Amino acid sequence: MEILSVENLSFSYAGASSPALSDVSFSVKEGDFVAVIGATGSGKTTFLRMLKRELQPLGALTGRILYQGQELSTLSPRDSAMKIGYVMQRPEQQIVTDRVWHELAFGLENLGMPQEQIRRRVAEMASYFGIEGWFLKNVSELSGGQKQLLNLASVMVMKPDILLLDEPTAQLDPIAARDFLETVAALNRDLSLTVIIIEHRLEEVIPVAHKILALKDGRVFAAGEAHETVKKLREVPEMLVGLPAAVRISAALSKSCCPVGMRVSAAPEENSCPITVREGREWIRSRFGNQVKALPVAPDRFAEADNAVEVKDLYFRYTRDGRDVLNGLSFAVRTGEIFCLLGGNGSGKSTALSVLSGIRRAYAGSVKIFGKKLQEYKNQSLYKECVALLPQDVQTVFLRNSVREELEDAGIVLPDKRQANGRSSLSDLPFDLTGLLDRHPYDLSGGQQQLVALAKVLAGKPKLLLLDEPTKGLDADTKARFLSYLKALQKSGMTLVVVTHDTEFAAEAADRCALLFRGETISTAEPRAFFSGNSFYTTAANRIAQGYYDLAASVNDVVELCRANHPAQNPAQNLTPKTVQNADLKSAGETPEARV
Amino acid sequence: MRDFEAYNPITQFFYFAAVLIIGMFSVNPVILGLSLFGACALLFFGKVRISKGNCLFFVAMSLLPILLNPLFDHHGDTILFVLNDNPVTLEAVLYGIASGVMILASLLWLKAFSAVMTSDRLLYLFSAVSPKLALLLSMTLRYIPLFAAQTGKVQAAQKAIGLYKEDNVIDGVKGGARVFSVMVTWALENGIITADSMEARGYGIGRRTSFAIYRFRKKDVIFLLFSAVLFGLSLYAVITGGYQFDYYPTVGTVSASPVSVIGFVAFGLLSILPSAILLFEDIRWKYYQSKI
Repeated sequence: MEILSVENLSFSYAGASSPALSDVSFSVKEGDFVAVIGATGSGKTTFLRMLKRELQPLGALTGRILYQGQELSTLSPRDSAMKIGYVMQRPEQQIVTDRVWHELAFGLENLGMPQEQIRRRVAEMASYFGIEGWFLKNVSELSGGQKQLLNLASVMVMKPDILLLDEPTAQLDPIAARDFLETVAALNRDLSLTVIIIEHRLEEVIPVAHKILALKDGRVFAAGEAHETVKKLREVPEMLVGLPAAVRISAALSKSCCPVGMRVSAAPEENSCPITVREGREWIRSRFGNQVKALPVAPDRFAEADNAVEVKDLYFRYTRDGRDVLNGLSFAVRTGEIFCLLGGNGSGKSTALSVLSGIRRAYAGSVKIFGKKLQEYKNQSLYKECVALLPQDVQTVFLRNSVREELEDAGIVLPDKRQANGRSSLSDLPFDLTGLLDRHPYDLSGGQQQLVALAKVLAGKPKLLLLDEPTKGLDADTKARFLSYLKALQKSGMTLVVVTHDTEFAAEAADRCALLFRGETISTAEPRAFFSGNSFYTTAANRIAQGYYDLAASVNDVVELCRANHPAQNPAQNLTPKTVQNADLKSAGETPEARV
Repeated sequence: MRDFEAYNPITQFFYFAAVLIIGMFSVNPVILGLSLFGACALLFFGKVRISKGNCLFFVAMSLLPILLNPLFDHHGDTILFVLNDNPVTLEAVLYGIASGVMILASLLWLKAFSAVMTSDRLLYLFSAVSPKLALLLSMTLRYIPLFAAQTGKVQAAQKAIGLYKEDNVIDGVKGGARVFSVMVTWALENGIITADSMEARGYGIGRRTSFAIYRFRKKDVIFLLFSAVLFGLSLYAVITGGYQFDYYPTVGTVSASPVSVIGFVAFGLLSILPSAILLFEDIRWKYYQSKI
């Protein structure tokens, strides 16, 4: 039975000229797991908020939203609050009270439930979610993952029929995110709870989703059964970037735009679309050989470069009795390279960055920045044309009420003022902010905030840029663009140190990667070698290729390897003359028509 | 302190209030001695750590009347010596000491009180009076650490992009003011998310109930009954003058009338009641352990 259906829903925000949603129709059956995907600004969040009456934004709404055949607006306040649960993106701000147990009880208190019933429900939820161990704790002592789990539990305690989640794992590290999504999947599987989720981590969500709703510019772009919809989305480049690695590999190898000779042969399962790592492995093994095991290794561009950062035997702890968060940390970053520091939670990544940027001081060991000891940078000179840090929470960079003031404050010359004597100007940046100048920084999307913060950080003309988790909460498309900006900065001679959880990002961005564990670097290598050496802490693409190809870290690496191994590249195998000819033509850079 | 923490906050609150009321308004040396002994015993058996700073504060506060009273109070018949034409009397010295002990004992009781009454226990007490106020307080307690943590993050971020141009006070104050102003915006912005989260969970749809994890058990009833009787007897002694003790014009003697004796015994029992429970539970646990 349909638990929720949306008919011809259109919505425009009060005062907005164009609609945020237009003519959206969609229905959800009881027990469905629905993933809502789409680029930033495609109306995902607006759509989800429409389904929760208390959170519907102000504006003009047409069309109908039915919950179990009943108009959402005619539901009693009590049913509306209880039956539809909503979990938002930021774990911190959703928590209302100061104690875990009180937070769990909050919703039931609002319903006016008697003590003994609340006690029972809260106890049951705490047991189910494994909260018992921190039941009495103050919420400020919890980790990000625990906070988000608490938010989920305090919604589930009201026994909703439908759970709506708006990017619930955007602020979490990969391990906590996986735990969270697994819990949601278990709720769906075991209790037949209907789940509608907006999520960027499609690698984990798509395999468990029954249905996918893809939005674009406020319209339904594709909707339906998960596997079928992925197959459709695979053909659209802008939707493809966010899909799981296996899908992207198969798309790159079977897309009609690639040279004809390299197309996957027209086997009956040509259209098959692998989604998980396991399916991806099978898909490649059944189609491509592995005579070429690895791609040629590119020469190290920075072998001769001086060290921009030299860290030796660094020790740091937060309290006298605490453990050493940095425990003999040593590494070197060479001038001009992008250096990624990876590692789990509590491995000391962010701490290392705050010591490098002079915010915290290590109690033993030395840090040299461009050959000069950190302590010798006196009177804030470290931050003048030398080092800058883009923090994890980019909102902390903003102090003003508009982007314009923000940039002027930082000393950036805006295009409408002409006096660029030596100061950095907006046009020097590899990205365009002119459209955002009069907005409030807090009103921008996560990706836009990131860029404005980056602009402000770059105004000091740093030679060494430190970035703390720059891809947290960004969708795939924004991430790809952000990566290209970082590459542009690198080209202009900047050295970048990036602390990240995001293995996919590191594989594509880094010149070298280092793994941190309990405050020391365990391994340092060029990304292909780095990720091939890891079996678990690695990219999905590498897990797909592992054991079959060597030195493959990113989706592109795997695609290149497959192409190199395709029969078309190998004259020894029997091929039809025509495909060979076509491939040759393509590689010569000519079109067949031009020949004729 | 665990075994005493297991009681309902209302029980605990009543107990501390009773001890403090009697202890703070009597200068009878027997009562002062019992009160001081009871507080020390509770802190000792409850294993409450007293920091150095706390210790210094307690000593300083109790030394104050001991030093000041003889200097400013010249009543009393027994003159010890004359200072700047002002007589210093034995009675004033003794009264000063009694006041000092009274302050010290009260501070120690309050220390024990704060060790038992964590913020959520206090909130529970508040919610008995006004549930709305209790929720507001709980939200405030939630917000303070969040606000402080975010302020720290903003400070660090701003430092690392060169908000503080030089290492001097003026730049420090200027920067600090700007950080504070943006924190106000941040608080409002985040308040909206919190408000959404509250509304999504049905806040304001009707009459709320107020949930607490504390139960009122049989042992609470027993404890309350005991302490109420002891408190009543002590109060009776206060009212009928059983605790009467004169310092001026000459130091008197401790009364041994039946009312006084009953009063002393009652207060003595009252002040060692929680320590006795702690000690008893300790022994009982050891006994159980030896049986296993």
